[in-house]
Amino acid sequence: MTIFPFDSLSAGYREIGLVVGTLIGFGFGFTLERAGFGRAQKLAAQFYGTDLTVIKVMFGAIVTAMLGMVVLSGTGLVDFKAVADQATSATFLWPMIVGGLALGVGFIVSGYCPGTSFVAAASGKLDGLAVVGGVIAGQLIYAELEWRPWLAHFHNSSNLGNLYLWELLHLPARTGPAIVALGVVAMAVTAFLFSDWIEKRFIARATALAQPEAAGRKGRAVFVGFATAGAIGIAALAIPTSSHAGTREALPIAQLDLARLVLDEPWKVRVIDVRPMEQCAKRRIPGAECVPAGKLAALQLADAPAARDIVLVSAQDLVALPASAAGFPGRLHALAGGFAGWEQFALTAPAPLAPDATPADRNLYRLRAGINSAMTGMKTAPPPPASTSTSAGAPKKGGGGCGG
Amino acid sequence: MKNRDPNRFWNPYVAGVVLGLVLLGSFVVMGKGLGASGASLRLGVAALELVAPAHVGATPPLARTHSEGSPLDNWLVFEVLGVTLGGLVAAYTSGRLKLEVLKGPHIATAGRIALAIGGGVLMGAAARMARGCTSGQALSGGALLSVGSWAFMFSIFAGGYAAAWFVRREWQ
Repeated sequence: MTIFPFDSLSAGYREIGLVVGTLIGFGFGFTLERAGFGRAQKLAAQFYGTDLTVIKVMFGAIVTAMLGMVVLSGTGLVDFKAVADQATSATFLWPMIVGGLALGVGFIVSGYCPGTSFVAAASGKLDGLAVVGGVIAGQLIYAELEWRPWLAHFHNSSNLGNLYLWELLHLPARTGPAIVALGVVAMAVTAFLFSDWIEKRFIARATALAQPEAAGRKGRAVFVGFATAGAIGIAALAIPTSSHAGTREALPIAQLDLARLVLDEPWKVRVIDVRPMEQCAKRRIPGAECVPAGKLAALQLADAPAARDIVLVSAQDLVALPASAAGFPGRLHALAGGFAGWEQFALTAPAPLAPDATPADRNLYRLRAGINSAMTGMKTAPPPPASTSTSAGAPKKGGGGCGG
Repeated sequence: MKNRDPNRFWNPYVAGVVLGLVLLGSFVVMGKGLGASGASLRLGVAALELVAPAHVGATPPLARTHSEGSPLDNWLVFEVLGVTLGGLVAAYTSGRLKLEVLKGPHIATAGRIALAIGGGVLMGAAARMARGCTSGQALSGGALLSVGSWAFMFSIFAGGYAAAWFVRREWQ
């Protein structure tokens, strides 16, 4: 089971969460300042090839946080995708590309990005304060316009949902993040070495205020750290029990509960019958999909929407959860007693109700009768009219609906 | 205690790892990434409300900041408050806390401030269009391998390099 993140910090213990947020922000701001990101010349120098601190710090941070998440989800303490779904926005591809281009222009014109402008303003830089004000104005102006029809169309276009690089490459949800992470590390280290080389070439043109720092011993120690974390991440993948997939169990669901779901709220549930095709084709639970256990992987349940619960139906009680279903992000049930138990339950017609039955009994009768008729093709007698009704209703008056 | 040299910074690789650990802590403890521009909007709405509360209520994207009560009663606002405090302490302890305008040698102060405001407005709008800025979208989403975040990040660098030549007098 995953332990982190502490969801209560966003709910019941919100106030503590706000304090934690302030502390995390403090660490963020302190590090940005010490990296030199409170100084516009140092940030702008990234785009003139004289000081590539920006790309080094940025990729260093991405690689560190990413490898940390890969290692921690390998040990089962966090779930990479669950955190990603919570912490990232959906991909709106074209607005993000256009927004990125515009933000890049704004970055080199203003000398800061929105986050570093707060740091610069805090350290007394009046140009940083001007950028803080500009960003606030820009946010307000865009918020005024984004819901007007002429902009809303583009603003909400190319919505690909929460989409991740490993999904783009059709990698499995469990190992995908780690595999892509290795690629990102390789790209980042290439960028680091390339940056050091560029800086050496352009260093003569650098101003005194934007002098890069050589990688040196500390830089090499960081590279070794990345390699170690990457190795740990790969090792964690190799331990089969370490992922949540190995420990997950489907919750048993009683026949009556399932009957209630498929008859009353079929949109809430997806029933998957994993028995062999012939058996399922002959007789199945109303609305069930026939997907033999061997074909389950083709459904890609790990990427299926979690809104509908899944109920797995096997011949007897489900012995082991198929690995291809374990990655399903939503609730996963197994029908108690399997299909054999279901047949016994469903094929016995309910005993007729006494006229003084309670509403609960009547509802139970309705459910069992509905299931029974769905399974046998036979209609059972409708429940007798409730004893509370005094008469069959007064005889209708003649004339149209307007009379009387 | 070493002499404070305002021109000495952390080794960029070490700074990257420290920043990454802060981000990892945010993911693991809060289940959220770091951010900045979202707080800017909330600061703006709080200010706008003092002069035109009815207008805020009538504009859906602005009114949505009220879902938790005050637009300032929000995790991002407190996180950015922390960023400001952290920046202040780091600048003070490194000898960089100083009232000044940072610019290249060939531009006047007024021009630099005008470009800072203009660039800021452009970035504010762009960050809203992209559902986040360099911190929230590129850094946090990039570490979690979101496709949109990586497209956004490469676009930032493309936009920056494309415009750098035109504003070179501001910096060199």
